[in-house]
Amino acid sequence: MTLRTLQKISALFLFSFALMAACYAGEKDQDIYAPVYTQPLAPEPLKGTLSRILEFPLQVAKWPMDQGLLFNDKHQIDKKAKWIYEETLRQGFKPLFGFSDLSMLPYYGAELNLLALARQKEKFPDFFATATIMHCPGVFFLVGTEIGAQQIGGTGFHAKGLFNYDLEEKEPFYGIGPDTSKGEKASYRIETTQVGVESGYEFSPRVDLIGAFDYKNVNVLNRVHDDTASIPGLFPGQNIQGLSGDNLLDYSVALKRDTRDSKDDATQGSYQKLLFQYTDGVNGSPAQYFKYQLDMAKYFRLWSPRRIFVARLFGEHNAELNHGTIPFYNLARLGGAGGNTRDSETMRGYSYNRFYGESALLLNLEYRYTVMEYKEFKGKVALFNDLGQVFGEIHQFDIADFRESYGVGFYLSYARNTLLNFSVAHSNDGTQFYIKNKLAF
Amino acid sequence: MNIKLKNIKQAVIAGIFTLALAGLGRSAAAGETVKFKEHNAAVSTDFFDQNVYGEGVNQLDMGRWGRKFSGKVLPSKDVNVFDEVPDSGFFTNRHGRVRLSADLLEKGYQESAGPDLSRPLQVHTAVQMGIYPRFWAKDARGDEYLFEFDPQGKFELSTGAEVVASRFYYALGYFVPECTVVMIPSDRFEVAPGATTWEDTGFNKKLTQKRLEEYLMVLPQDEKGSYRASACKTVKGEDYGSFSFESRRKEDPLDLVNHRDRREIRALGIFAAWINHYSLRESDTFDILMDRGGQATLTHYLGDFSGALGSTQEGPKAPMLGYEYVIDYGEVFKSIVTLGLWEKPWQKKWKQAGEQCLAAPAVGYFTNDLFDPARYKTEFPYEAFRLVTRADGFWAAKLLLSFSDEDIRAMVSAGKYTDPKDAEALAKTLSVRRDLIARYWLSRTSPLDGFSFSVGKLSFKDLAVEHGFSPREGTVYSVEALKEDGKEKITRFEIKDTSFEIPAADIPASGNIRVLIRVLRAPSKTPSPAVTVLLNASGIQGIHHED
Repeated sequence: MTLRTLQKISALFLFSFALMAACYAGEKDQDIYAPVYTQPLAPEPLKGTLSRILEFPLQVAKWPMDQGLLFNDKHQIDKKAKWIYEETLRQGFKPLFGFSDLSMLPYYGAELNLLALARQKEKFPDFFATATIMHCPGVFFLVGTEIGAQQIGGTGFHAKGLFNYDLEEKEPFYGIGPDTSKGEKASYRIETTQVGVESGYEFSPRVDLIGAFDYKNVNVLNRVHDDTASIPGLFPGQNIQGLSGDNLLDYSVALKRDTRDSKDDATQGSYQKLLFQYTDGVNGSPAQYFKYQLDMAKYFRLWSPRRIFVARLFGEHNAELNHGTIPFYNLARLGGAGGNTRDSETMRGYSYNRFYGESALLLNLEYRYTVMEYKEFKGKVALFNDLGQVFGEIHQFDIADFRESYGVGFYLSYARNTLLNFSVAHSNDGTQFYIKNKLAF
Repeated sequence: MNIKLKNIKQAVIAGIFTLALAGLGRSAAAGETVKFKEHNAAVSTDFFDQNVYGEGVNQLDMGRWGRKFSGKVLPSKDVNVFDEVPDSGFFTNRHGRVRLSADLLEKGYQESAGPDLSRPLQVHTAVQMGIYPRFWAKDARGDEYLFEFDPQGKFELSTGAEVVASRFYYALGYFVPECTVVMIPSDRFEVAPGATTWEDTGFNKKLTQKRLEEYLMVLPQDEKGSYRASACKTVKGEDYGSFSFESRRKEDPLDLVNHRDRREIRALGIFAAWINHYSLRESDTFDILMDRGGQATLTHYLGDFSGALGSTQEGPKAPMLGYEYVIDYGEVFKSIVTLGLWEKPWQKKWKQAGEQCLAAPAVGYFTNDLFDPARYKTEFPYEAFRLVTRADGFWAAKLLLSFSDEDIRAMVSAGKYTDPKDAEALAKTLSVRRDLIARYWLSRTSPLDGFSFSVGKLSFKDLAVEHGFSPREGTVYSVEALKEDGKEKITRFEIKDTSFEIPAADIPASGNIRVLIRVLRAPSKTPSPAVTVLLNASGIQGIHHED
């Protein structure tokens, strides 16, 4: 074998080795995770120019919101506010807040727990003493106090004395009967001072029998304001009693039964309230009448606690006694969102106090369903129908006099406490909007 | 001649010197410290930005509407030529690249064996969340840890979830702090000088030993009187706040891709679905400035995993978590128009469970009943999770499938559950959920991977067949070879095997060819989206799964 041949063989060997090594190296070195890109990485805007222009005004608003939330988080403002609220409750001061049917402005006030303020609550756990003050500018002013005891002698007996001063600045009045017109509206100012006692026996946490006696001094100022006419001027010939005020003694007995799983956000159960009241005018007042009132509601779960159907029936009848009269301000009243004992009954498509009558019959049907849930927060939508009428004597009841309203509501709650109730209702009178912090029933 | 040479030499030396100076100057410029801004975020800002502001502003995004109507998708922009995600400050290819051992999977990210309890822990900060506290304390080594505890009656629930989830994220490739389950004897807590506490009243007060003991009184203990905690070590380095799941840090020269276009960020939604990490949020992430190879760079960490598996900080998960956002406008609208008559999947599931959590306290509410991988939702509607393409989903599914049942058991064992049945229940749920998610994403794309080209033969694996999601019988692969411009067809055929020869004549001397492979499975007549393999004589130059 010559040197040249040897050199050729060596070169061929080396070439083959190099080729194999290159192939092997090519396979071995191929790192599929290497930062090798089709195109070099380069910054790009998130959105197109037009989108950014459209978003810009909102971004300007977003920044202070974010800064505010960060500040709140850093200094735990929300927790501090919650603590301050709970501490004031513990000290005996409970702020009150809500919305009236007659004003866009909210009402505000406070309830003072006098025993807690005096640091006597633990010493006298079964006693209570509260003072309440509420004000809605231009609508009402209320001051009241209650002093009493519950579970007297370890029994179901309870008793209290009460005092209230209630000034309603502009109570609407559309006349008496089912055929009144929204266009014929008067308003009156009514001032009520009430002193009374109440006593009862709680058979169980669900059943309570209450007897009450109170004295009321009522002053009615039929003043013209907000371009409304005076009541006698607007309703001549109608026998409207009580325009000059009254002094009244009320004797009442009520039986209450409540099996709802929650008073504010019930999903099952029912409540019934039956009231008999005898009112006698004193100091020259011609008032003398009986009041019968039934208020009952049933909450049906439709195969789920998230779908609730509520049916409520309310009936009231006031019957004159011994040629006595019924003051107009104590007649049965329908209209508005209801929910308070002082308010007219729930008939949401009509304004507050829309119908006055000796008797009233009201049916509220409502379907509530949960549309949003996050832990303790819940959002519900409600579809409702309110059907009611006012009439005089029982024989004057007429199916044709029923007035109907229907609407939709959105309720937001936390831990079954209503935070917001926004409702819209429509009737022949038009459309009503409500913002409340409680449910009607 | 000699003079000329001398001049040339001088010229060369001068040139080299100039280049060196320029290089130094550039190095000096590169070494200038980048001024990073602190990005502060909280749960409340997350809620507002994503659930209120973001959902509204999305309606003004013309590009988004354009994509919705045209059906176009936004491909991820940080994937390499092989359709993989390179290592970065966000993600490191770990278990998907090289299978981690069971021991490493159980240990997760570990700088040490956990807090040193040879001396009492020095608690310097406490925060009261409801009635339960969390502590920041230093151990005997001086390392700082965040200690979180379980709620009463739910021993091992939150602490187990925190640590197990951190193992999963770490093995997948994300950066997480060191988290360990630790049993702390009751005498191992001490108040450090100057310690403070944020009480549930919102006030910051001095932490006293008495207050510390009051905090400890509400915590569950084991039979020996020890407290069980998840101990997460504070990552050393400067903390620059959280990172966004949407936009990039403009001041970071290494952060060039908007985060919502990063595949590893988009896939977080899929991985969160796997481990049921409903409370995955931007505000729980943190950016730490660290020295990596002589350069200060930001590393992006995930944190706070107590909302994973069946747990939340307060106890077992509520039934709607994982199915709806905090405010889910779409679900609310559906409920409204159906008058509440349509029963949501989570409501059906909750009703089937008798409206109670039937599992053990350590497991919480975590099952696969009525689990739909396509509809899993984290707490807030991050746009990045909505932009997941089929290719992103395939990448995530591939990663999921790299975990065997034993791997999952190893990671679950990090939760140190006393009852082996609890660990087994969790592991089984995670195994089944892995398959459900992987099956979903593999069915939407060409599930082919593991490409190799050798001696003219292109081979691949069908992950759907390999993992038993689809039968081999009736599966046909449609192959189409095109010139590099994608227009001129070279050949087209169908095969049943997972490899085929490419004639050398079809591979040009210079340039690449495109090989598109689609999967046809009987009885369906619709082929899958294509996977494109770019190759030349040297081998595979690129892989791309259709988005």
